[in-house]
Amino acid sequence: MEGKFKKGKQIQTINGKTVVVEEWLAEGGQGDIYRILYGGEEKALKWYKLGKMGKTPKAFYENLKNNVLKGAPSDAFLWPLDITSWEENSFGYIMDLRPEEYHEMTEFMLAKVRFKSYRIAVDAALNIVNAYRILHNQGYSYQDLNDGNFFINPENGKVLICDNDNVAPDNVETGMLGKPRYMAPEIVKGKGKIKPNYYSDLFSMSVIIFILFCLNHPLEGKRFLVPALTPARQEVLYGTKPLFIMDEDDKSNGPDPVIHRNSILVWECLPGYMKDIFLKAFSQTAMEKPGTRPREKDWLDVLVRFRNDIVRCRCGNDVFVSEEGPCTCEKCGKKLHIPYRVQFDSYSIPAFPGNRIYRVQLGICDEAKVLACIAGMGVSKKDPSILRLVNLSSKSWNVTNREGKLVKIRPQEAIRIKDGINLEISTEIGTETVKIIRNDAAK
Amino acid sequence: MPRTEELGGIPRKQLNIFYVLDTSGSMDGVPIATLNRTMSETISSVKQLVEKTADALVKISVLLFNSSCQWVQPKGAERLEDFIWEDVKAGGMTEMGLALKELNSKMSRKGFIESDIGSYLPVIIIMTDGRPTDEPDEALEEIKKNKWFTKAVKIGFALGPCADVNLLEKIVQDSEAVIKTDSLETFARLFKKATVNSIVMQGQSRTTADVVTGKGIVNEIMGGDGDDPYGFSDDDDLFGLGDDSDVFEFGDDSEYGYD
Repeated sequence: MEGKFKKGKQIQTINGKTVVVEEWLAEGGQGDIYRILYGGEEKALKWYKLGKMGKTPKAFYENLKNNVLKGAPSDAFLWPLDITSWEENSFGYIMDLRPEEYHEMTEFMLAKVRFKSYRIAVDAALNIVNAYRILHNQGYSYQDLNDGNFFINPENGKVLICDNDNVAPDNVETGMLGKPRYMAPEIVKGKGKIKPNYYSDLFSMSVIIFILFCLNHPLEGKRFLVPALTPARQEVLYGTKPLFIMDEDDKSNGPDPVIHRNSILVWECLPGYMKDIFLKAFSQTAMEKPGTRPREKDWLDVLVRFRNDIVRCRCGNDVFVSEEGPCTCEKCGKKLHIPYRVQFDSYSIPAFPGNRIYRVQLGICDEAKVLACIAGMGVSKKDPSILRLVNLSSKSWNVTNREGKLVKIRPQEAIRIKDGINLEISTEIGTETVKIIRNDAAK
Repeated sequence: MPRTEELGGIPRKQLNIFYVLDTSGSMDGVPIATLNRTMSETISSVKQLVEKTADALVKISVLLFNSSCQWVQPKGAERLEDFIWEDVKAGGMTEMGLALKELNSKMSRKGFIESDIGSYLPVIIIMTDGRPTDEPDEALEEIKKNKWFTKAVKIGFALGPCADVNLLEKIVQDSEAVIKTDSLETFARLFKKATVNSIVMQGQSRTTADVVTGKGIVNEIMGGDGDDPYGFSDDDDLFGLGDDSDVFEFGDDSEYGYD
């Protein structure tokens, strides 16, 4: 297949630059994607099909133009960089090409690409939530959040969000309702009368997170297994009577032991706080009252904790380590050596190589700094049995040991992790205290 | 935690695409060659498309009809990724009634729509360049009792001036879901588009709450306003509980019911 433009075709942009078409890459629902030269650099051009520019193409164009002028909310967005002039009743926009190491989320869903580890899957979820938090807090909503929006690097969990054409100031209509199976119940029930907004984005985002972790759609349990998924059935499943596959009160949409094996396997390993947030996100209350859905900050809080609670056993297995004490790898049967934990206000995480303290774990913080690494854990090069905590922040810490001796740990310096240490970590807002405790002393 | 490699792909509903293709004597020569190239190219294009779609598991069934009719895959629908088009020859009569009867016999869960996970409404793409040489009315009445057939997204292709457009309109149950063309080139282009759109529409972001129909797809690929691939559905949950139709039997549906 090929698009309408041949190699060498030139199109002008509103910034006075020239796009030169190099190659047709793919066809999407709304338009074709080309590899182009833009100011001598290789970029991508999305060119809209006729009739695919919302209900009012002029307004759609103006909204996209405003997004170009506004600039990307963060570098997680493959944001429109420039927009072309109208040509033959259509137009296109320019964005960066997707780097090769990033894969479509659907490839993960089909198990054609897998995360390097479960922890990396959590990192991907963290990056997705954080990106939407930034977008939402700038007053925008995405309006068409679905499994086709993400490119993810399976090695490090980094995420690029594409298809930003429907991003608009929250509650401003773009004409888009969303993708079936990802729309919030109120949008499905509304049959076009209720438009997507911040709250429907929150629902769709929860669906994405559940799928990333469990490789099942959260509303597609036994009830999904009807012989014919007619439009009427879809309306019930996703709109009028949605029911979480793991709902604890009503099991009528529960998992089938064979077809939904993924979610059964993962769910039983999830820590209570992760189960709780999913149960809340897909509770009957949250389905009916969009305002009660977990916010991005709620997700970030549990996800950073979850990330640190997953540690890698020497056999290569990822093990969830609870606060309840000694932990054994369910694959090789060996006990994991975790002598200490890092205690925050309300919970603790294991002190383990590769774990991190994120800014979001240290009280209220600036938007852009949520996932900033404040401290990292690793072993000493001289003696691998010694676990160290490295100051990755830009400020010095005041550290008090069990004997009450005070030392200053400057940025990039490290301390040995030992029982009874108190760290006073300065943030841009104040000072937070974090303690090192023995594993068996955890709550 | 389970290792990431322990988890399989997400469960997907099946999307069955039925092609019913006229390979009678009048298709001999350039038309059958065009059909062969079109099918081959269409399959190769949509393979790339479905490789990365998590919305549906697409399966293909091809029924060829002339003086008799035969399924390209007699054992059942084949996953699109595995399907390879092998060229067919033209010859014989246009036994459309026979084709409808055969299609009817396989449009069931015991036939080619077999799936543990279930299916989306199937897609039927039917093409002919002539008039039936048998009496298709009885077979047509019979297949209209099959709910998989009546609820399917149906698109007809009337190729050339001798094609029985009226019959195609009756089969697809919508005069606007039939594409009429005398040009083999147009046929090839639109046939491919019809297949692509039938697949894409299932999982495409929408601007309306309406459902996918054959007419909507035809409008879209014929370069209509493009914003109306969906039509209103009078779907009243015919696939629900207590349906005791012999043809549309669901066995243990009750455990999944909500009514």
